[in-house]
Amino acid sequence: MELRLVTIPTIIAVFSVIIIGLSLQLDTSPPMIVGDSMQARSFPIFLMVLNLVLCVMLFLQLVKAKPAPVPLEGHETWGSMILLLLFFALTITTDMFIAIPIIMFLLSYLWGERRLIIAALNAILTPVTLFFLFDKVLQIRFPRGIITNWYYG
Amino acid sequence: MQEALAAMGSIVFDVNLLFLIFVTTILGVVIGVLPGLGSTTGAALLLPFTLTMEPVHAITVLTTIYVSATFAGSITAILINTPGTSAAAATTFDGYPLAQRGEAGRALGIAVVASTIGGIFSIIILCIAAPLLARVAYEFRPPEYFALTVFGLSMLASISAGGAVKNIIGGVFGVWLATIGAERVTGIERYTFGHYELYEGLAFVPVMIGLFAMSELLMQSKRLKEVAEAIGLKAVKLPTKEDYKKIWRTVLRSCGIGTFIGILPAEGATVASMIGYSEARRWSKNKEEFGKGSVEGIAGAEAANNAATGGAMVPTMVLGIPGSGTTAIILVGLMVHGLRPGPYLFTEQVDTVYQIFGAMLVANFMFLLMGLYAAKFFARISLIPTTLLWPIVFALCVIGAYSLNSSLLDIWIVMVFGVIGFFARRHGFAVAPIAVGLILGEMVETNLQNSLKMFDGEWWLIFTQPLAVVFLLLAFLGLCGPYIFQKLTQRS
Repeated sequence: MELRLVTIPTIIAVFSVIIIGLSLQLDTSPPMIVGDSMQARSFPIFLMVLNLVLCVMLFLQLVKAKPAPVPLEGHETWGSMILLLLFFALTITTDMFIAIPIIMFLLSYLWGERRLIIAALNAILTPVTLFFLFDKVLQIRFPRGIITNWYYG
Repeated sequence: MQEALAAMGSIVFDVNLLFLIFVTTILGVVIGVLPGLGSTTGAALLLPFTLTMEPVHAITVLTTIYVSATFAGSITAILINTPGTSAAAATTFDGYPLAQRGEAGRALGIAVVASTIGGIFSIIILCIAAPLLARVAYEFRPPEYFALTVFGLSMLASISAGGAVKNIIGGVFGVWLATIGAERVTGIERYTFGHYELYEGLAFVPVMIGLFAMSELLMQSKRLKEVAEAIGLKAVKLPTKEDYKKIWRTVLRSCGIGTFIGILPAEGATVASMIGYSEARRWSKNKEEFGKGSVEGIAGAEAANNAATGGAMVPTMVLGIPGSGTTAIILVGLMVHGLRPGPYLFTEQVDTVYQIFGAMLVANFMFLLMGLYAAKFFARISLIPTTLLWPIVFALCVIGAYSLNSSLLDIWIVMVFGVIGFFARRHGFAVAPIAVGLILGEMVETNLQNSLKMFDGEWWLIFTQPLAVVFLLLAFLGLCGPYIFQKLTQRS
């Protein structure tokens, strides 16, 4: 049996078992609070048991249908995901409005944009416009960082 | 009824609202012609911008995006063989071949007229059916609501082409996501891992932005090498008398099909357009023209997909059960603005409801004008480089998600669900069932709890309620019907 056919049902099954394990650790309430209703853990456990049954059905379907393997994505997709991580790191260490232009520019470059000035203008003007729109019109205060500290004072 | 008509008519005198509909229609058409964006992603991205608006204006923005983007998907479907939205996929079958024959203007003219008729027809049905259904829904108690939500969840099985089992797994995952946070009866925290922001549960909007917009961004990174070949367009032509003679039956049939499919919980414009197209072919006297530029094919698909928009609003407004991915976001919009969808909306906020319906009607006329006079311009927008467009979507995603609760956690939720959505789609799981499951999750658990209390813990007494049994039977048929039918057909 090909490994790829069992991968997805296995991941879902493992996830379901983990959730059942976590649910079993949830507190239980005394009968006078719950009454004739159900404990907080009951519904999620029911859902995950249902998921396990569905996993078996999915596995049987995949074995029968033998779908073509999903081709591996190019460097643009994996690079984009790494950029999301970089965005997280830059936002918590510097400023969200430093992270957004950098990620926008790198995303454009990664996806093949070689007109660097246009990519840079897009990366700077878009967040600046959105910042003022949300700040002035929608009255949203953005998280503190290098630029926002300077702007908000 | 008079009150309702007066409320609908009042929007004609609200200049601000009319201007808002005009601007949003342009935006909706732009969103619709940009491959990958579509009405669901567009509505998710625009939801944060509606926060400071009045409820009617906010919901009008979302519904206008819904109807105009659903239509606009046909522009690129006809001109560059790339449906702007999945609902326009069936339009490519005949729209593009007709455009290749040098009749792009005629194809667009038929698409825009059929879409408008479909949209208006479904809104008239919405105005009639919604209050009637609301009257029935007044009688619903927890067992009926529980059975109804189970029926809604069962319809997820056919929400996309991924396969029934995959769709239901997605739906179950969505329902589980709704259990995150403090449990309603006991207050016990579930899966919050110490994050107090999760005490109230996962916020809908960041999850929607992540599932629809951020995952689409990652999906687009796979399609960078696809090249679209645009067909020249001189002007959009209104259908001739001959065209009308050919398509009127198809349009009427598709209006009915689209509205009915739309009303079914969790079924949307994509399914409606496919059925509308195949029924147009089945009843046509010129079957051989289909796939080669049949005007009936274009009209059948377009009337059905726009008719589904009004139909999908019926369960959304009356029962709080979304009729499609985009209505799931509209439902979130209603809740964010303090409008609790359900039958009481039709007694407590009649004006608001009918103003929203009226705005949808106006939006249909607006996109008719834009389709006829500005399709050429909008078609050019679809050629905006992906390398510049999607970084803008990224910025909209993160800033929009943050603005709802001023919480960085919401941005991380967008990222996480973007990646989850991407991998789900990569392996053939649609993201709409996850979104619908998340919305219906609380409803199904709460109504099950209330039913249990009502019957002193004897859960099987749910089956003593006739309406609940009907819904549960429908759910069973929705899940098992296709398999039983397939087996019976094979045997015969």
